[in-house]
Amino acid sequence: MRRRLASLLLLLAATPLAAQQKINRRIAIDPDASIRINSMAGLIKVVGWDFDSIAVTGSVPAGAQFFMGGRGRVAKMGVERKDETLAEPGSTLEVRVPRRARLWIKAGTAAIEVSGLYGELDCSSVSGPIRVEGSLKLLVAESMEGDLKAFGPMDVVRLKGGAGSVTLRGPRGDVQAFTVGGTIVATDAAVVRAHLETVSGTIAYDGTVDRSGTLEVITHSGDITLRLPPEIAAEFDLSSFDGDIVAAISGKGEKGGKGGEVQKPVRGKPVSFMTSGGGANVKVRSFKGEIRILKR
Amino acid sequence: MTCPGLRARFDDYVAGRLSDIEARALEAHLEGCAECEAFLESQAWPIDAVRSLPRAVAPREDLWPAIGSRLSPRESAHRRRVAVPRWALAAAAVLLVAVSSGVTAVLIRRSAVPSVVQPSGSLEAQYAAASEELTAALEKARARLAPETFASIQRSLGIIDAALDESRRALARDPVNEGLQLLVAAAWRQKVDLLRRATGLGAES
Repeated sequence: MRRRLASLLLLLAATPLAAQQKINRRIAIDPDASIRINSMAGLIKVVGWDFDSIAVTGSVPAGAQFFMGGRGRVAKMGVERKDETLAEPGSTLEVRVPRRARLWIKAGTAAIEVSGLYGELDCSSVSGPIRVEGSLKLLVAESMEGDLKAFGPMDVVRLKGGAGSVTLRGPRGDVQAFTVGGTIVATDAAVVRAHLETVSGTIAYDGTVDRSGTLEVITHSGDITLRLPPEIAAEFDLSSFDGDIVAAISGKGEKGGKGGEVQKPVRGKPVSFMTSGGGANVKVRSFKGEIRILKR
Repeated sequence: MTCPGLRARFDDYVAGRLSDIEARALEAHLEGCAECEAFLESQAWPIDAVRSLPRAVAPREDLWPAIGSRLSPRESAHRRRVAVPRWALAAAAVLLVAVSSGVTAVLIRRSAVPSVVQPSGSLEAQYAAASEELTAALEKARARLAPETFASIQRSLGIIDAALDESRRALARDPVNEGLQLLVAAAWRQKVDLLRRATGLGAES
C-alpha cells in the first residue's frame, strides 16, 4: 500500500513536467524576412544571430500548442491556447532570427525581450514589460501597463506606455515617447529629434541635442529635468503655467541681453534664451510641473 | 497540388497547420512554379510600400463630417453588432493625429503673427465625440480584457481627465494663453490615443 501511494505521489509530482512540452524547431529563412510571433503569456525572448534561419527553443504548458511555419521572406510562429484570457501558466520562447529580420511581436501579459537586431521591430504587450537592445532601424513598442526599455542607437523609436515607465539609454535619431503616469528617463542621449510627453509622470533627459535638431518635452503635472552640456548650441523656450522654472545654463535673452541662468525660480511666465549662437530648438511645456535645466 | 490549391492552403502552411505530407506537396509545387513562388513573395508584409508613403498626409477639411457622422450613435443593426468599425477607428485616429499634430505644431512654433490659435470649439467637439465613441467601444470590449488591465486603463483615463479638466479651466480664465492651448490639445490627444489603443486590445491576434 505504501509503495502504491509512493508511486502515485511520484506520478502526480511528475505530471506537470510531463504536461509541459519542450520546443526545438528550426527553419531556413531569408536574412531580411518578416517574422510574426504571437504568445499571450510568459516570456518571448528574441536574439539576432548571423544565420539565415530561425531556431526556437523553449516550452509551452499543457493545453497550449506551439506552431511555426514559413519560408523565404515570411514566417509565423506562436502559441495557441484554448483559453486566451488565462494569464498563467505562460510559455517560454527563445527565438533566434537573422539580425536584419523584420519582427512583429504581440503579447498579452508576456514579457518581451529583444537583442542583437539591426532591422525593424513592432511589438506590443497589453501588460507585460518590453526590453529592446540593439541598433534597430525602427522600433515601435507599446504596453498599457508594462515598462518600456530601449537601449542602443536606433534610427527611429516610437514608444507608447501607460502606467509603466519608459527608459531610453543612448538614444539617437528620431525618438517619440509617451506615457500617462509613467516616468520617462533618457540617458546618454544625442538625438536629432525627440518628443517626450507624459501627463503626470516625471521626465529626465541627460545628453545633448543635434544643432539642427529639436527636443520637445510636455507634462501636465510631472517635473522636468534636462541635463545638457553648458556649451550646447540651442534656443530654449520654457513655460510652466503654475510651476517653477530654474535654468543653470547661461545664454542670451530674447533682446540680446543676458538670459538663461535663472537661479531664482521663475513662476508663471515663460523663459527663453539662446546659447552658443543658437541651434537646436529646446521647447518645454508643463502645466504645474517644475522645469529644471541643469549643466551636464 | 494545383496553383489554386496552394493559394487556398497558403495561410495554413504559414501557420504550420498542414500535415507533413501536405506541406511537402506544397513545397514541391513551389519548387517548380514560378508563379506561386511570386505569389508567396507577394505575401510578405508590404513594409517597403508603407515606408515609401509620405510621412504625413494633410486631411481634407471636409473629412471630419463624414467620419463624425459614421461615428455618431445611430441605431442600426450593424452598429449594434459592431461597436465601431475598425477602419473608422483607424481613420479617426489618423485624422486626430494629423489635426492635433498640426495644431501642436502651430501652437508650439513661435509665430510672428499675433493671431492666437486655440483649440477651437469644433476641434474640441471632434475630440469629445471621438472620445465618447471610443469610450463606448471600450466598454463593449471590456469582456476580452483582464479586470486588472481594465482597471489600469480606467486609472490612466482618470489621470488624463483630471489634467484635461484642470487645463481647460485655466484656459477658460486665460483663453489667449498659447501654452495652455497646447496642453489642452495634448491632453485630448493622449486621451483619444489611449482609448484607441485600449479598444484595440485583444481585437487582433
